[in-house]
Amino acid sequence: MLAGAAVLFSTACGSGGGAAGGKKQFLVAFSQANNAEPYRAAQNATMQKLFAQYPDVNLVIADAQQDNSKQVAQVETFIRQKPDLLIVAPNERAALTAVMGQAMEAKIPVMCLERDILQPNYTTYIHSDNVAIGRLAGQFIVDRLAKKYGKPKGKVVAMRGLLGVEGEINRDKGAREVLQKYPEIQIVADPVADWIQAKAKDRMTEVLRAQPQIDVVYGHNDPMAIGAYLAAKELGRDKEMIFVGVDGLGGPAGGIKKVMDGILAATFVYPLCVDKAVEIGNRILHEKGFKPEKEYTIDSQIVTPQNAAQLYGQ
Amino acid sequence: MIPRRAQSLAALTGIVILAIAISPVAGDGSRVFLQLGNLTDILRQISLIGMIALAMTFVILTGGIDLSVGSILALATAVTAMVLTRVAPGMSYGPHILLAIAAAVAVAGITGVLNGAVVATLRIQPFIVTLASMIGVRGLAKWITRNENIDIGFGQDVAAQFATVFREKAIVIGAYACAAAMFWLMLARTVFGRHVRAIGDNEKAAQYAGLPIRRTKLWVYTISGLLSGVAGVLYAAENHQGNPNAGVAYELDAIAAVVIGGTPLSGGRGSISGTIVGSLIMGVLTNMLRLKNVDSNLEMMIKAVIIVLAVAVQRERESA
Repeated sequence: MLAGAAVLFSTACGSGGGAAGGKKQFLVAFSQANNAEPYRAAQNATMQKLFAQYPDVNLVIADAQQDNSKQVAQVETFIRQKPDLLIVAPNERAALTAVMGQAMEAKIPVMCLERDILQPNYTTYIHSDNVAIGRLAGQFIVDRLAKKYGKPKGKVVAMRGLLGVEGEINRDKGAREVLQKYPEIQIVADPVADWIQAKAKDRMTEVLRAQPQIDVVYGHNDPMAIGAYLAAKELGRDKEMIFVGVDGLGGPAGGIKKVMDGILAATFVYPLCVDKAVEIGNRILHEKGFKPEKEYTIDSQIVTPQNAAQLYGQ
Repeated sequence: MIPRRAQSLAALTGIVILAIAISPVAGDGSRVFLQLGNLTDILRQISLIGMIALAMTFVILTGGIDLSVGSILALATAVTAMVLTRVAPGMSYGPHILLAIAAAVAVAGITGVLNGAVVATLRIQPFIVTLASMIGVRGLAKWITRNENIDIGFGQDVAAQFATVFREKAIVIGAYACAAAMFWLMLARTVFGRHVRAIGDNEKAAQYAGLPIRRTKLWVYTISGLLSGVAGVLYAAENHQGNPNAGVAYELDAIAAVVIGGTPLSGGRGSISGTIVGSLIMGVLTNMLRLKNVDSNLEMMIKAVIIVLAVAVQRERESA
């Protein structure tokens, strides 16, 4: 057993330091909040793929496992290694603000990815806009209800993610902003399923028991929308309502495929932000005197049965 | 005076009456809580953790604990989905599905054997052994799946057929009922059951009496692993995916069900029927609060109070 552990350990470390001689090698350190979320796993995979095109870049990813203090410690360790670029996808705003400031003081270019922090302790911040996504989802729901009933009215269930998280707050806020304009649209239930598909299925089952008529389920992420679909299907009510999600990840388990399969009526891509991050990151590494913008906002995109197959191909 | 065995049942009855009283009313005037569909929802929702809690009862009866059950469940979901979607053994659907289930349960069982072997032979505390495997097995599940959910899909292929059959309410609840009956018989009617209790009651005395302590311990952790594996197979079917992040904190829910059911963490005494009632209490409570759309933070606080009350009531009666 010990020997097995030793082998694992040495292979794990071996992939870390492969600096070939000659040309200058760049170290890019990426502190990821939590590998366990599919969205973040996709971020990691895309970043590895994109940076692999540059043989002089050595990318190291650390997983903070959704733990603030672990992530702070990891960033501190990265600062000691003096990377040429530090990318942080913060787990929570307050916890990471100070340590990212330390990295700035150490003259390391810092890229803040997706979630913001309390003070602008970064060279550049690349993110998407969850309120805007919520608004897009809200408008889509209004349009579909108007088509169904001739005017915007109907009963909506919101499946909420982990309360208090920026994504949950703003995806909810944006959608409510739009839906509230139509008094005949009612949010009849908004159970909390913590982003998790299995939980969403259980919570939706109870909602279905209590609500005789539902028109739309708006899941704050795709897994929760899919969980709600599974619950409705089991009770033979999946045709009664449509399911709308957010995230729009690729791959067989992602939301785009679920739109192609006719399970979700639509999903809204929450951009990985990684393409932009790698583009800007490379310019920071390779272009002398390049000054990035303080902030880049990446737009969302609606995925419907019309464009799903094409997006899935990408 | 209510006999001790019936006290958790009395608590369940109280909660059910409350649930009926506050249940929303359906269009036809009936109480939503009492609809057959809703009652079977509750049974289905408690089945997976309920099954794990059955085996956990045996572990706790010996004075041990198994923290690795949630991680083992995740590993089993991953193995099930991977064998179904990535292995093409050139079999027809039936044998392929059986192969996937067998592989998942076997892997889970082996993990249980390892837990048991370390606990029984190295005499390290079960809390520490299973804490280590909780971490390690979670890592293994994430590693073999590369952190990704393995999608089972909704098509006509073998994986989708598997999900269609094994997510059926009757199958899930039936599996739980069978396991419950088996475990009840094992504890109440077999020599093995008596050994389990005796070891938890007084390990030294059991040793002097010549009971097979190591073998019994090896078995309870193996059984715990196997049941977590079965629960993992059903989880994969129900959620149409192998999920390396499934089952987080399930060990705590299972332990809660055991404790509410009247088995103390020190082991030695307790019953399977109590654990079933403990699982039902948690299930009815969740259902009751969700049907009423109670704030989810409030729900957690209410559950906390119920857990302490349920255990406190049993202690009081005991000392009286």
